[in-house]
Amino acid sequence: MPPLALEDLTKRLFEILRDEILSVGEDFLPQSNLIDAGLDSLGVTQLMLSIEEYTGVWIDESLLTPENLESAESLAALVHAQQEP
Amino acid sequence: METNADHTPSSTPSKAATSDVNGTAERAFIPLTGADCFLRAFDAEIQRNGRANHVSQLVLRLGPGFDVELLRKLVEQVAHAQPIVRAPIRKRFGVAEPVFRISDAHRAPLPRFDVVDLDGPPPADDELPDALIRPINARMDVRRGELLRFDAIRYAGGAAGTDLAASWVHMLLDGSGSETFMAWLDACYRGESSPEQLPCPTEFDPPERSDLTMQQRGDAAQSWQKWLSGFAAAPPHSLAGPLRRDPQSLRYQLLTLSPEQTRVAVERAKERAGFMTPMLFYLAATIRAHAAVFRARGVDPGSFVVPLPVNLRPRGAAKAMFRTHVSLVWFQALVDQTRDLDELIAHLKEQRLAAIKAGHVENAVHAMEFARFAPKRLYTHMARRDFKGELCSFFFAFTGDFMKGVDTFLGAEILNGFHVAPVPPSPGSCIAMSLRGDRLNATHVYQQSAVSDPEREILREQLLRDLLG
Repeated sequence: MPPLALEDLTKRLFEILRDEILSVGEDFLPQSNLIDAGLDSLGVTQLMLSIEEYTGVWIDESLLTPENLESAESLAALVHAQQEP
Repeated sequence: METNADHTPSSTPSKAATSDVNGTAERAFIPLTGADCFLRAFDAEIQRNGRANHVSQLVLRLGPGFDVELLRKLVEQVAHAQPIVRAPIRKRFGVAEPVFRISDAHRAPLPRFDVVDLDGPPPADDELPDALIRPINARMDVRRGELLRFDAIRYAGGAAGTDLAASWVHMLLDGSGSETFMAWLDACYRGESSPEQLPCPTEFDPPERSDLTMQQRGDAAQSWQKWLSGFAAAPPHSLAGPLRRDPQSLRYQLLTLSPEQTRVAVERAKERAGFMTPMLFYLAATIRAHAAVFRARGVDPGSFVVPLPVNLRPRGAAKAMFRTHVSLVWFQALVDQTRDLDELIAHLKEQRLAAIKAGHVENAVHAMEFARFAPKRLYTHMARRDFKGELCSFFFAFTGDFMKGVDTFLGAEILNGFHVAPVPPSPGSCIAMSLRGDRLNATHVYQQSAVSDPEREILREQLLRDLLG
């Protein structure tokens, strides 16, 4: 699977979070904190499965730090960095 | 409890639910959730030997200044405004589906309130008085609407503090819902809410129906059942032993870590199990604590089979308080896999991921939906058939932060707070863990004749060794 651009990844992750994982309003943005928005253990695993399906990249749980889960943008940056060049 | 706020539920909507208002007074009945119906099996299991129900408890250790009468009056107002708290649970006439009979709630007694006065200061966390523990062995007649009760132990007339226990049949509230319920009572006291105004506006609205066909739901339920049956290759043993016939005689002991110990345990949990899944560290420690007791007995535990509740509230209904909104993820560890803590955690991580990938969180919901129309004890009968008489090894729950952001209750400081999860006479042992502020609480609920005092000490020491390193 060819690597995806960071902008495309951010947009797709944001959509998955907003439409499938979280219950958020219009104030939810790509910069919004994911934990504050209600992302929890099951939600994050389902998110990782969606990311794997979309990009072919499996994010190891050890990489799921508070910093990487800060926002859809920071998570997309992590996934982007994990893609094969 | 593994937490998850917003995922699709599956529940049968009430045909009588013609109003979308928050209050329940306009509805003739409210269906139990599938999880509630599943829990009826455990209620029946305990009732089989008489004298008790499947009763959970939330305990608040309060500082001076708590007014019991104020709470009594508030709960009375709530009972009138939200009749589900005393609605008889019965099957609908002519239909097998069990419901909260809202229309009959006005005939049910108000929630019971017992007050005990003791001299002197409150005892330490690990020496809680019997009056606090006794309600978990209470008989609550759910068919008459006895669903909720409060027990207060006042020390020096309340001047030295009060221990408050809210006890309920598990079909009315789950662990997360009970915290929301208590926080809502406090919000009512502070004038930020009212007994008529529930914190979740969709509390009783029928959730979205699953778009699966009946055949697909049946397949999902069967897949879940097949998954569980796979554990039967190495059937578990519980500390109480299979098919215990003794009447329930539960006790519990609270283990509260100091702030420094808690910091160490929380860090170890994050390092070993991950930032988002610390519950696997606590589950692993709990499995190894039970394994230590089996070793001391010289008994082969077979394997450890343990269900982990997953909070599964509907999207947009994270603060839904009434009824049970959970799924279950099951874990199995063979004895060899329990010898090293990190290896056990790695094994549990793999199992959790495989279960979620296979869709068993959702499959469990469909299986529990089928419990709606099944005989109450069908599930326990099937489990005992597969596991040579046992239901599982023990029960476990980790509910994260306990009443986060709520520092006082009706004006009195909350000094500590914890959950007491129920456990049938067999498996007879359950550990419920949560974090209250900067302290970790572990409540060991046990069948009195199933675990001896020295065995409880072995369990406690092993648990501490793994929590603290």
